[in-house]
Amino acid sequence: MKEPVAFPSARPEGEPGGTPTPTTCSTDAAVGARPDVGPDAGTGLRAGAGGRGSTAASTSAPTAPRPRRPVFTGRQGLTVAAFMAPAALFVAVFIYYPMIAGSQMAFRNWNLNDLTDTSWVGLKNFREIFTDPVFGTVLSNTGIWVVGSIVPQFVIGFAIALWLRRRFRFRGLYQALIFFPWAISGFLIGILFRWMFNSEFGVVNDLLEKAGLINEPIPWLADPKTAMVAVLIANIWYGVTFFAIMILAALQSIPDEIYEAAEIDGAGKVRTLFQITIPSIRGTLSLTVLLRVIWIFNFPDLIFAMTGGGPSNETHIVTTWMITVTQQGDYGRASAIGLIVVAMLLVFSVFHLTATREKSATGGRPTTGGKRATGRNPRTRKTKGTVS
Amino acid sequence: MIGKESAAGRTVRILFLSLWLAVTVFPLYWITVTSFKSPGTIFSFPISYWPTHFSLENYTGLFREAKFGVYLTNSLIIATAAGTVATAISMLSAYVLARFEFRSKGAVLMAALVTQMIPSFIALGPLYMMMTELNLVDSRFGLTLVYIAVCIPFCTVMLRGFFENIPDALEEAAMIDGCSRLGALFRVLLPVMRPGIVAAFIFNFVNCWNELFLSVTLMNGDARKTVPTALNGFISSFNIDWGSMSAAAVLTIAPTMILFAFASRHIVQGLTSGAVKG
Amino acid sequence: MLSRRRTATALCLAAALVLSGCAVGGGAAADGTVTLHMVESLTNPTRTAVLKDLIGEFEKQNPKIKVDLISPPTDQADQKIQQMLQSGSGIDTLEVRDITSGPWSTNHWLYDMSKDLKGWAGWDELTDNTVKYAKDAKGRTYYIPYGFYGLSLFYRSDLVTGAGFKNPPASWDDLLEQATAIQNPGKRQYGYAFRGGTNANSNAVAVIEAYVADKIDRDNGFKLTDGRTIFSAPEALTALKTYFALFKKASPPSSVAWGYPEMVEGFSNGSTAFLLQDPEVIATLGESKAISQQQWTTAPLLTGPSGKAVQPVATAGWGIAAGSKHKAEATKLVKFLAEGDAATTFDKKNSLVPILKSAADDTYYKTGAWASYVKMTENPDAYITVTQPRDSSWWTEWIQKSDADIQKVLLGKMTPEQLLTGWDSYWTAKWKSQ
Repeated sequence: MKEPVAFPSARPEGEPGGTPTPTTCSTDAAVGARPDVGPDAGTGLRAGAGGRGSTAASTSAPTAPRPRRPVFTGRQGLTVAAFMAPAALFVAVFIYYPMIAGSQMAFRNWNLNDLTDTSWVGLKNFREIFTDPVFGTVLSNTGIWVVGSIVPQFVIGFAIALWLRRRFRFRGLYQALIFFPWAISGFLIGILFRWMFNSEFGVVNDLLEKAGLINEPIPWLADPKTAMVAVLIANIWYGVTFFAIMILAALQSIPDEIYEAAEIDGAGKVRTLFQITIPSIRGTLSLTVLLRVIWIFNFPDLIFAMTGGGPSNETHIVTTWMITVTQQGDYGRASAIGLIVVAMLLVFSVFHLTATREKSATGGRPTTGGKRATGRNPRTRKTKGTVS
Repeated sequence: MIGKESAAGRTVRILFLSLWLAVTVFPLYWITVTSFKSPGTIFSFPISYWPTHFSLENYTGLFREAKFGVYLTNSLIIATAAGTVATAISMLSAYVLARFEFRSKGAVLMAALVTQMIPSFIALGPLYMMMTELNLVDSRFGLTLVYIAVCIPFCTVMLRGFFENIPDALEEAAMIDGCSRLGALFRVLLPVMRPGIVAAFIFNFVNCWNELFLSVTLMNGDARKTVPTALNGFISSFNIDWGSMSAAAVLTIAPTMILFAFASRHIVQGLTSGAVKG
Repeated sequence: MLSRRRTATALCLAAALVLSGCAVGGGAAADGTVTLHMVESLTNPTRTAVLKDLIGEFEKQNPKIKVDLISPPTDQADQKIQQMLQSGSGIDTLEVRDITSGPWSTNHWLYDMSKDLKGWAGWDELTDNTVKYAKDAKGRTYYIPYGFYGLSLFYRSDLVTGAGFKNPPASWDDLLEQATAIQNPGKRQYGYAFRGGTNANSNAVAVIEAYVADKIDRDNGFKLTDGRTIFSAPEALTALKTYFALFKKASPPSSVAWGYPEMVEGFSNGSTAFLLQDPEVIATLGESKAISQQQWTTAPLLTGPSGKAVQPVATAGWGIAAGSKHKAEATKLVKFLAEGDAATTFDKKNSLVPILKSAADDTYYKTGAWASYVKMTENPDAYITVTQPRDSSWWTEWIQKSDADIQKVLLGKMTPEQLLTGWDSYWTAKWKSQ
């Protein structure tokens, strides 16, 4: 088990990347190899802690009776600290410090139009946000935005991934081409789609007219309903890629033997999909969805470039709304919105992680876990074979 | 290998994949065609789907009037340096997160997740102040440092999943042979994880390549601008220079596309064993 | 493997260190050369090029001063400038707009140049309007305008004639009539380039002001002489009804979302016949290949029923950061840009209403598209210049609110009456709280 095995490290490492490590390994340094090195032992944990896509939960996972051994023993603690140090330093200095320093604005009267009085106002900014009539619209729009983006992205991404598993000529080229939206900035996509959806000179209406689907140009961005549809289309276009990549990658890690076994059992396509494929990659799906929810929530660029939250505030989501408040100079209120965003996402993450963990703990998991375990070592090799 | 496919299934698959290809590629096609139209014909109506005559005016203008070459170089240097260092640092943190169990691990992972939730605007002010104090404003080095920090959390989570897929036996064997832990990490694991590392690097690179707000805030001089800043510069309050903008966009997308074309199999393969095990 | 990786990392770090070069230095170099950091906010590539030429000229005249021009993208510029001002370093000369001068001077971010400009010969060369805007209510000078923005009506002479009209529209009623006659959606020909998107409020207010021109407070364009808001006047409703009819009968439907770029594009690609815009569009249209110079020109701003129009003035200029360590040199630069050839070049190349008196004699401004501006300047009683309350601290909030309200009316979710009541109570409340 990859548990806190007493793991006398060879030597306390200095700053990685800083102190020179001998290129030859001195024999006297190696002391204890881990006692449980068999492939099954290793997999046990992966299926237990890693495979479920749990993050925060991993320390307190109620399932899988894992042997708990004394945490942090001397050298091991030192190794952990040394290896974590550079990352921790960077993130603490350049992300957490500015964020915490910036958060205090949320509790102050911090308006750029008049910074002569930046006194502490407690929760006033938060109260103002919750009582703002726009807040309701913004919240429901955020919901529509996240769900309306995630679901189609997920379904299309999943379909592409499933179908891309089969080899065909130019598959590599196809992948490179359909993956490219991921490589463009959201802002650029917003600008591009804004012009494509322009009612009079836009290419979307022109194509629809040429295809005979419409007789009159649709004023896409001028009507709240179609404007939301337009921004969602742009976002779906943008985000399918990420799902497709992640799911395709996960699919390729399912050993073929499972499918062969299913076929012998006479399982149909649909049954195979729901009883083998999906349970096998549940961890991936769960984490991908979580990350995407966080990112889409925090992705004002596209809406801002396409509609600016209009017409008449009907396409504002929480983060675009925050931008307009920023533009008014009210940094106090904008920061408060920012903190509300973080809080909402934190709550969501905890729920999501708990929910997906319980599911995988009760249903499906044991079988998959076992199958994955057996297929594990060969898989590392096989993947290379099939993909390249 | 994945079971036999019926004729109908095959048709559906081909139809769907072709349709999606068309949907995906069309905007790319559109912006490329626009970039080759001469400035006066971009908005001529009816819309032409093919430039009546190819014009390189938009491209030459980029290098003549704007220092687009300089911006490309800046972005390339910064994204490569930040991507590389962030990947290296993340490997270390991902490694211990995958291989050791310690009490604060959950908190560490949650802390990584939280960084993805923070709207960057909150941190921008204090960050600028700090960078001014450190004399790192308007410096490529300074921006690189910030980008490294921005890349680390996701990169760590991604690589951690990857490490968890590699049997411990590998490095343990190496350590029995007398390698230090770091030595084992680099000598034994590195070759095995190359696809994962490539995938992580590309992810970092693309993120840095496209980053706008930090770059605008921290860079001043024309000689130190990055591509996204320059791209945004084509939008003025009263006009969007579509010709230059689309030409610049094509040049901006090109490097990432090339990277993708070469590495798409690495990405998928890398992610196969990583990323998603979170 | 290990060593290669390490070497790579080390090389990258080293390269980054070397390439980082020198960071912002504010101080004077050993030889006494001073470097000024100058930041613009209404950035556009053409203007930046003009500015660079002028700076080159300035540096030639002042060999001991170097100017480092910082041109952030316009969408992010204000935020960046605010951060620089707040940190108090790395910024000497900057673009200050009528909208930003209020808040920034309140925060003590701007330097009051009035003492340094005492006795400056340049004052006499500036137009009255320029002098007026160069000083705030307490006589402090936070910026000297580089030019003015003002509205005029761009129109397609060929389409107007083709529809059987002899003259371009003079009043809003004329415009409604002519634009409706020209509108032909089947052929993608529209009458008016309506502004429904960003800054929609500016044109709506211009209509209302034209209709209340006889009783407007010239020092505060949102106030009537009796102290109430212009939105409370009964004429305001008539004005808005005409204006919204223009949208319904004579504008492209998607103009609900049109901001500056779409409007200008709609006119310069030939699909709309009328456009109400700032003079800077003159330069843009000059480059249009869809319509030739013979097909369009400008007419004075549209009038209300009393035959008067109200010109909402907007301006921007150059000022100095309070934190600057080189105020003397920065003042020199501000003066340089506000006098002589530099000022003339800047205004002409950017199509701005000029700041120098000498422009009145310049033939450049008497011909073509500029003629209507001269006509407006020469008839100050019919074309009344009015100061808008653009320096209010709630101005951005107002813009966002009023833009959204206009879109609500366009989408049928609000009546013009409700809009006016809302605007009236908004401003009444704001003024009371002051």
